[in-house]
Order: sequence, then structure tokens, then C-alpha cells
Amino acid sequence: MSEDTAATGKSYFTPFNIIAGLIVIMGLVLTVIRFTGGLAATTNLSDYNPWGLWIGFDLLVGVALASGGYVTSAAVYLFGMKKYHSALRPAILTGFLGYALVVLALHYDVGRPLRLPYPFLVQQGTTSLLFEVGACVALYLTVLFVEFTPVPLEWLGFKRARNLVVKLTLLLTIFGVVLSTLHQSSLGALFLIAPSKLHPLWYSPYLPVYFFVSSIIAGLSMVIFESTLSGRFFKHKMDETHLAEKDTIALGFGKAASFVLAGYFIVKVIGISAGNNWHFLQTGYGAWFLVELLGFVALPCFLYAVGVRDKNVTLIKWTAVWTVLGVVINRFNVSMIAFNWHLPASERYFPHWMEIGISVFIVTVGLIIFKFIVNRMPILYEHPDYKSAH
Amino acid sequence: MSISRRKFLGWLAAAGLSTSVTRTARAATTQHFTGYPDSVGVLFDNTRCIGCRKCEAGCNKVNELAAPDQPFDDLAVLDNQRRTSARSYTVVNRYDQVNYLKGPLYRKIQCNHCLEPACASACFVRAFAKSKIGAVTYDETVCVGCRYCMIACPFEIPTYEYDNAITPRVMKCTLCYPRISKGLLPGCVESCPTEALTYAKREDLLQIARERIRRFPQRYVDHIYGEHEMGGTSWLYLSAVPFRQIGMREDLGVTPAPELTAGALSGVPIVVGMWPVLLTGIYAISKRKEKLASEEKELAVTTAVEQAEAAAEAKLAEALAQADEEKKKAIDIEVQKALEEAARPETEEAEKSETEEDS
Amino acid sequence: MEKGKSGLRGAGIFVTVAMISILSMGLGVRGVPPSSDDADKVRADMITIDYLKTFGKLERPAVVFLHDKHTAALEKQNKDCTTCHLSENNRLGPKFKRLKDTHKTEVMDIFHTQCIACHRETAANEEKSGPVSCGDCHKEEITIRSSRQPMGMDKSLHYRHAKAHDNKCEKCHHEYNEQTQKLYYQQGKEGTCRYCHGKTTEEKKVSMRLAAHLSCIDCHRKTLEKNQSAGPVDCSGCHELQEQKMIEVVQKVPRIKRNQPDIVFVKKIGSVDEISNPKTQARMKAVPFSHVAHEDYNDSCRVCHHADLNACASCHTLTGSKEGEQIKLEQAMHNLNAEQSCLGCHQINQQEKQCAGCHASLEQRRKRGEETCLTCHMTALNENTGNTSRADEKALAAKLLDSRVAVTASYKDADVPEKVVIDGLMNQYKAVDLPHRKIVHTLAGNIKDNKLANYFHSDVGTICQGCHHNSPLSTQPPKCASCHGRPFDPDQPLRPGLMAAYHSQCMECHKEMGIKKPVATDCSGCHKEK
Repeated sequence: MSEDTAATGKSYFTPFNIIAGLIVIMGLVLTVIRFTGGLAATTNLSDYNPWGLWIGFDLLVGVALASGGYVTSAAVYLFGMKKYHSALRPAILTGFLGYALVVLALHYDVGRPLRLPYPFLVQQGTTSLLFEVGACVALYLTVLFVEFTPVPLEWLGFKRARNLVVKLTLLLTIFGVVLSTLHQSSLGALFLIAPSKLHPLWYSPYLPVYFFVSSIIAGLSMVIFESTLSGRFFKHKMDETHLAEKDTIALGFGKAASFVLAGYFIVKVIGISAGNNWHFLQTGYGAWFLVELLGFVALPCFLYAVGVRDKNVTLIKWTAVWTVLGVVINRFNVSMIAFNWHLPASERYFPHWMEIGISVFIVTVGLIIFKFIVNRMPILYEHPDYKSAH
Repeated sequence: MSISRRKFLGWLAAAGLSTSVTRTARAATTQHFTGYPDSVGVLFDNTRCIGCRKCEAGCNKVNELAAPDQPFDDLAVLDNQRRTSARSYTVVNRYDQVNYLKGPLYRKIQCNHCLEPACASACFVRAFAKSKIGAVTYDETVCVGCRYCMIACPFEIPTYEYDNAITPRVMKCTLCYPRISKGLLPGCVESCPTEALTYAKREDLLQIARERIRRFPQRYVDHIYGEHEMGGTSWLYLSAVPFRQIGMREDLGVTPAPELTAGALSGVPIVVGMWPVLLTGIYAISKRKEKLASEEKELAVTTAVEQAEAAAEAKLAEALAQADEEKKKAIDIEVQKALEEAARPETEEAEKSETEEDS
Repeated sequence: MEKGKSGLRGAGIFVTVAMISILSMGLGVRGVPPSSDDADKVRADMITIDYLKTFGKLERPAVVFLHDKHTAALEKQNKDCTTCHLSENNRLGPKFKRLKDTHKTEVMDIFHTQCIACHRETAANEEKSGPVSCGDCHKEEITIRSSRQPMGMDKSLHYRHAKAHDNKCEKCHHEYNEQTQKLYYQQGKEGTCRYCHGKTTEEKKVSMRLAAHLSCIDCHRKTLEKNQSAGPVDCSGCHELQEQKMIEVVQKVPRIKRNQPDIVFVKKIGSVDEISNPKTQARMKAVPFSHVAHEDYNDSCRVCHHADLNACASCHTLTGSKEGEQIKLEQAMHNLNAEQSCLGCHQINQQEKQCAGCHASLEQRRKRGEETCLTCHMTALNENTGNTSRADEKALAAKLLDSRVAVTASYKDADVPEKVVIDGLMNQYKAVDLPHRKIVHTLAGNIKDNKLANYFHSDVGTICQGCHHNSPLSTQPPKCASCHGRPFDPDQPLRPGLMAAYHSQCMECHKEMGIKKPVATDCSGCHKEK
């Protein structure tokens, strides 16, 4: 695909570009409709369902899947696992783009996007977990941005600036993990205020813990997944170290993911027990909960372990995809499927095609920017001037 | 990572000072907010409501809301169950076959103006506030439109102007805050012909409700809805039939909404305080491990090198010695050979001269 | 080729993801199942088979069995009750294909084999049949509601039964001899079955439910077999509300003769000495009571005679006794919550349409003036000391009852304005032209034959107090606006404002009396718009 562009430097009409282009055009049209017609014109939101796909997917899933950044930096810088060094920059980039797009998506969802800075500048609702989320996401986006700046600085050749920023790495990493813990768990804690609306199998006082732990799982899996995709589409950009470490990363992160999934499974079961909600497992929603718990938590835990033991990188790669899907399903469950479970079918929510369109548009924009950066800047290779003695 | 003592103390002082700026946070306490003193409320008595919808009309007029699709005197509207919407702060629903002896019962739905409102707790710009007079007010000048209040409200009251592209607002009953601040009655209360809505101080309303139940025990269910639900609301209800039969949830519990999230919020300062310590510790430990590992490696390398050198030297000495010996042996052999060589020509010459002499 | 494969794989992933997302959303959109309040089946013949409860906890949900459905189906097959019910003592037993609950597995097997076998047979004959698999009978969620109304004998039914049996009381009424353990008939001791047969089956006494089914239905069945008319044998015949309404009611039932008095005093029962001795005599004046009139007012004797057919005071003594469960005479007569007490029954009468208009808004437990006691408590018997015979007492009681005024007194028409114009609060509407005299006449006319009402409304102007309340009796009662003004006066928290006073006064009365016109929400029905 992109190999053609890089090789010949000519045709811009590659399949990716065409499809992405169409999606972008659609997205721009939908954006106009959104801001001229309001939320009623572009969504199926209602008074019973104020939060829909843009929160369930763009915000909740987006933040969960962008957590590769803090997980990888913690692994490399705090736990000293130098062998995952080549996963750092892609993870930071994914994280940074992810959070930036979350903020972009919020501009679509919120009724008055120009007022988004209000909680910071005008009036602080400190009793609100959403304030917590907003403050931490904003700060963390800044942290990610600063962590990312060495890349363009290297690209642009600003040596002194770059070296200065790199000195801040440790501080930023610690700050990043703190902020990530806070906002990942707070996203789950958002739903603590509505016990009467969320199905008992998904509602628990442990919701913040669930979201935090599953964000780690999502981060680990996303790094594997993203490294798989980069390995296929950006192989020509990878230097020797990256190519060599690819499999190490898959095995190492797979092992970690297996452990964390096991822990997540256990706390989820504890949650059911604490609420004495066993009898709900016999219902329809219970069956779906078991699909989520057994099929998307217990199963990948097992598959990761098998993959690591047998050094089967292919299995680990597919398990990573499956796990990411599981996190998506979990976020969908909490925000849209198990939410308002008590309402009659006529009042339940399904996204409008325009909502799906905007979400696809935002993801596509992310992919385009990712491709742009990876093709030009030292993400998958080390800039010759800054070869680190790692 | 090294830091001077002065710097460290400086940071510590700054952190300490910052803690004095915040207000007291109470997560799980034994304190229970029973409402501001002298705050007002409204008591709805469904044995008096005749379903005339004059309250809806009054509310619409007083708040200058958009006109509805059907006029307020159209009672066929009651054939369907309705909820509050962006154009109606309050609706009346009819419930048939619950009190079949005397006819249908009605319920008026509007914001319950909770003592500890979920919407106010959830709003991240503090657009909602529980006023001292009792009304939960909404400030549209700061609202960002995130709609978390709509998620939080257990009674499913706040609505949103989804149609409005530029300036959408959250719409809900205001308890006619401007009017009651001037001593007037809320629009709905003033319009009700049978005083199904009673307006008074909340503590007085509780007395009135209890007295009505005491006087006519056969008329009412012995429960004042809103006395304790979700920590207490300013809008109270009396009913002739169990509340779930008129569409009111009886499973909301008595915990006020803010208490539900207080636990999670109280974890934030702990994480902010402890995580850096933990993570720095992990970093320090891993760095130390690295250092120890590299030292061990170096030591191992040096030892190995030394050993190798010593072994090499010994081998060399042995080889040299052996070479010496061999050299000596070779010399000896050569000498022997040379001697033999020297000896042989003599004998050969002697033999040769003998033969020559003979001729 | 590599690209093609990856494309296909990508497409496969996308489809899987899309399917899972859509399916999951679809599952969520399912919503909640309908509540059991919207049961589409309401039946009177619903029997819950859970007899294995006696052997321990049930392993499977109880089975809902529709009895009438089965009798109807069996009738079509020309089968009768004996198909399922076994005979015992010349009567059909109540249990299914057994006389006793012996053992858990035995009982269970009887149900399983017999029910399912019959269902299979019926299905084999190409007819609509019942379930044969476990879950179809042992249903988790029961969507059928029982509409079974309680059934009992009343005067009319009893008369019809007595006539059918030529007034041979011994056909149904019996007593039980503990020693011989035999049933026998004792004349003069007949009473309702319920005096012995209670809610649950005891050692030698079946429950009322069983007794009624065993005796009544059996007799009906046998009578029907002789091609004579008899009562119902199916569930709905007795227990379905609609069918109950169709039971022929004899209006003028001749009095059941059981040696009951006509008019008597309700008083402490005791010997002549006890009554005349100041230490033990009752202090309150005795109450003359027309037993014969009250027989007319009630459908059966057990409305008042809830335990036996003796005088109330024989168990409910002045200071309480064991037989009366320590309920004293005062409580037995005045308890507002019990139908069998005097005041309790009178209270219930106030709920009648023609009374409720006023009485629904009167607090039931309000403090009444002491004079109201004297409406009933008319004379002190201790005045008549000495040898007062029962006959003399009864004559005195009758005399006192006659002397009681039983007329609702109203003011003369001249004093009752014909129309009252209510124009105190005109805002959006014009004044109300209240047809005042018509209302008064209607109210008075509604109760003119009601002795109970008349006894208590004998003071002139009493019924005016229904609207003109909280003020002395007068032809010129104070205007509503004298007391009702602004609403929500904190000094008068329970007093409505003037508008609400007007509205609720009329509307509540109309609602209680079941008056359809004017409709409360039809404003112009009472006052024209301006």
C-alpha cells in the first residue's frame, strides 16, 4: 500500500488514501450537520439516554485503548525493562493521538464545546468525578505531548531542546502513571452515581478498580496489536533493533497481560460475590456477562499464557486483538448495554448512523496522522544522531 | 536523580501549604444533611389530584416555555405515559386500574429538588446548586452540555435541548426560584384547583403529611415518598396506592447520591500522595538492581579475564619449557649426527686411499 | 497473494467485530420482560400443586393446575370426577388419585405418571392436551393470576338450601362428640361451619375449605346425577366474581328460627345480684338493641356472631375473660376496625355512596361529644332492680327503641335557599350558580329510609354540617370565606385556601358518591368562562 508511495513517490491514490479520503469527506459533512442541526440531527440520544456512542466508544474505549503509553513507559523506565525500549515511541504516539482524538470527539458530544475549558477556568465542580476525569485527561494529554516532543524535535534537528526534554522523562513517566491511574479509574467511577440505572452485574463499588485494571490490559494488548500492524504496514520503516525486539515485546507483554487478566477475573468474581448477585447470572443479561467474563477475560488470559509458553507469537497477536475487543465490549456494556437495562425496549438506545460515521471519521483521522508521523519521524527507528546506548 | 536538601524542603513546604487551601472533604461520615432550615418544599397528594393538567399549563406560562403540540385541556394526552421533556418541566400521568373502586389516579412528575442532589454532585462546572430556599437551580451560563447530570439523576428528570445546535440547555423544574424568592407561589401550585400541591416549609409539610395519614389512615399508604428517598427530597408525595403502582421507584434507597461517589473521590489524594512514592521506589529498586547486576557482571568479567590470563601464562611457560627441551634434544641429536658425520668421511677416506695405493 | 489473504482476514475481523457489536446492542435493546401485573390470564380455578411441601423443600417450582379446564375437557370425553378423585366414606376425596399423602416419591409418581399418561392419551387422540415435559408444568414464571373470590353461605342461599332439604337441618349441621369421636346432630345448636372448621386442617377437623368442597360439591354432584337442579360443581361456579353475581338471590328471606330475641338490651350478663350490686354493676346505661332489625341489615349471622351464636357479652365480659380473648365489652362494641363490633359496622355503612359524600371527609377517629353516646346508651338498668324478668326487660328495650327519634331533621324549605351564588373568587371564571336546595333535598332523600343515619341526624341542621362544617348548627351558617382565605397559611397548615375549599368540597363529595356529572376536569360545567 504505502510501499508504493514511498517507492515511486508518485500515486497518492492508494487504496488506503481513497478510503480514508472518503471517510474524511463524510466526516466533514457530518461535522457541518452536527453543528448546524445540533445533537438531535446527528444522534439517537434522548432524555433517557444522554450518553451514547460518542461517550461509550470515543471517550471510554478511546481512553482505555490509549493506555499503552503509560504502561510501556512504566515498564521501560520504572521497572527497568530495557528490552521493550523499541515499543516506547509507538506506544507514546498511540497514546498521544488517542487522547487528542478523545478531546476532539468530546467537542462533538458536548452541547457547548466552546465551553470545555470552563471547568478549569471558570468554575470547578470538584464533587464531580467528571471534573476528575477532565482535569487528569487534560494534564495527561500535556504529559503525553511533552513525552512525544523529542520525536518532532529530532526530526526538526533541535538538539538542545530535545535533550532537555529527554531529561524530564522520569518525572513525566511518574506523573503520567499517577494521572492515568486517576482518570482511568474515574471513568469507571462515573457510573457509581447511578446504581439504579446500571445492571447489578456491571455495577459495583469496585467499578474504578475494574476500569483501571482493564486499562492496563488494554494498553498491553494495544501495544502488541499496534506493533503487529506496524510490522505489516510499516516494516520498511523499522530499524534492526525494532525488528529484532518485536517478538520479545509480544512475548513479554503477553505474559504481563496474562497475569493482569487473571487478577482482573478474580476481582470481577469478588465483585459479584460482594454484591450477592449470583442469581443474575441465570438471566439473559447474566449470560451476556458470562460471555464477557469467560470469553473475553478468562479465555485471553489462558491463550496469552499458552502463547508465551509455546513462544507462539501469532497466537499472542490474535489474543491481543481479542482482548482489545473484550475491553471495547466491556465499555459498551457499562455505558450503553447494561445501562438503562430497566427501561422498556422502546426507550433503549442504538446509535444513529451519523454517530457511527463521526466515530469512524475520528479513528480514520487518527490513522492518517499516525501514518504521517511514522513515515517521517523517528518512531520505528532511531534517529542516527541520537542512537541511545541502550 | 539527586536533589539538594534545600530544594527538597522547599517542595515539601509548598505541598503542605497547598493542602490548607482546600475545604474539608467528608467521605463516609455519620453526618446527614436534613435540608437547610426553613427551606421550602411541595407536597403532592394524589388523592386530591383530578388530572386537570392546570399545573402543566401554569408552569408553561410562568416559565415562558414553548407551546405544546396538544393544548393543556386535552386530557386524551393522559392516555400515554409521558416524561419531562425540553418543553415541559412537569407532566401529569394517569394510572388506571390501580384504585379501581374510585377511578384513576394521577401523578405529577417534576424535579424533586433533592436535599443532596445527584445533578449538583455530578456537574463538573457546578451549574447546579441547592439554594438555601430549597430549589435546585441551574446556571445556564456555565453549563458545558456534558449531560452527566442526566445520567446521575435517579428520577430521570433533567432533559436536554438536543434540537438546539448552538445554545442547548438542560431543562428542568426550577421550583420557580425567582418567584418563591419574591414570596410568590410556584406556578403549578398556584394553578392547582384542589390544592393537591401544598407549598410550605419542608419540615411543616412532613407534619402536614403525617397528620393527613393519621386522620385518614384508610385513604393513604402510610409512607411519605421523598422523606428519605435518595437522602430526602423537597418534593414529597402522598398516595392512595403503593408508589410503584403509580410509576415511582421504590428501590432507590436512602443513600444520597453524593455519598455514592465520595469513596472514589477520596481515593484521589491518596493516589496523588502515594503513587509517586511507590513508583519512585520501584524505579530506585530497579535502578539499584541494574547497578548491582552490572557490577556483578564486571566483577565476573574481570575475574574471568584474570583467570584466563593466568591460565594462558601457565600454558605459555609450559610450552616454552617444552620448546626449550625439544630444542636441547634437537641440538643433541644434531651434535651426535655431526659427530657421526665427521667420523664417517675419515673412515671412507682411509678406505679410498688404500684402494688407490694398490694400483 | 499475501495482500489478498490479509485483506480477507481483515474483512473477516471486521465482520466479526461488527456482528458482535450489533448483536450485543441488540441484546441490550431487548429491554425488560413485561411485569406480571399485565398477566393475560386471570382465572378462578387456579390451583397450585405444591403438596410435596410437607415432605421438605420443593426441588422444582410449584405447578399451576387449572381445574375447570380439566373438568371441561373430561366432560367432552364423557368422563366425570371419579376419573381423578377416589371415593372415601361414600364421598369423593379432594386429592388427586389418592386418599393420603403417604411418601414423597409415591405422591410425586402419582402426579407424574397419571397426569402425563392422560395427557399423552389425549394428545394421541388428536385433541388439545396438556404438557408432557418437566418445564412446561414446573414453570419458573407464573403468568396466570388467581381471581378466586371467597364464597360463603348467606341468608338467601341458606334459605334455598333449607327449602331444598325440607328444612331438615341435620343434613348439614352437626356437632362432634370428643369421646365417641362421632358426629351427631343437636337441635338448637346449629351454626355456621366456620365455628369449628377453620383455616387449616387439624387432627380431626378439616379446614373450612376442605369441608366446604367435600360436603357442598359432593352433594351438588350427587343431586345433579339425579337430574335435579343443584349448585355448581366447578370452581368458577362459586368462585368467579361474575358467576357469583348470577346466583339467584331471594330478596325476602323468612327469618331463620334459632330462638333469637327480637329486641334486647346489650348489657353485661350476670345474675340479678351482680346487676344490682353497685360494686359489680355496669356503670354505663344499657343499650336497647333490635336484633330482628339487624338480622335484616346483614346477609348472614356470622357478620356479628363471629365465634358462636350466643350473646356477645357472654364472652366479652365487662372486664375481659379468657373466652373473649380478654377483649372487653367496650372494645367489642366500639372497635372501629372490626366489622362485628357495633361501631365498626356502622363505620362501614358510612362508606355507602349516599353517606360517603360527607362522611369520607370526616376523620373517623375524631372526638365526638359525649351526647352521642346517649343515642345508644339510653337507660340505666340498675334502676330496675329486684325481680325483673327477661320479658319485662325486653319490653322496656322495645319501648325505648320506639321512643328514639328516627327522622333526619332538615330545615324548612323557606330557610334553605334555592340557589346560592358563589362569586367570592372570580378570576378566570364567572360565578357559580349552586342549586343549593336541590342538593339538600337529594342528600336528605338519599338517607330518609336509613334508620342508622336518621338516629344520628335527628338534630336539625346536622346534615348541613357536611358542607357547613366547623361551625354551630344554624340557618345562617358562616360563609366559607370567613375561615378559608389564602392557601398555605403556616398557622393553619391543614386548612385549604378558599379556591381549594370550594373545589375539594364539591369534587370530593361527587367522587365519593360516584356522581358522574359534572366531571371534575370540566371547569365550565360548574362555572362559565369569562
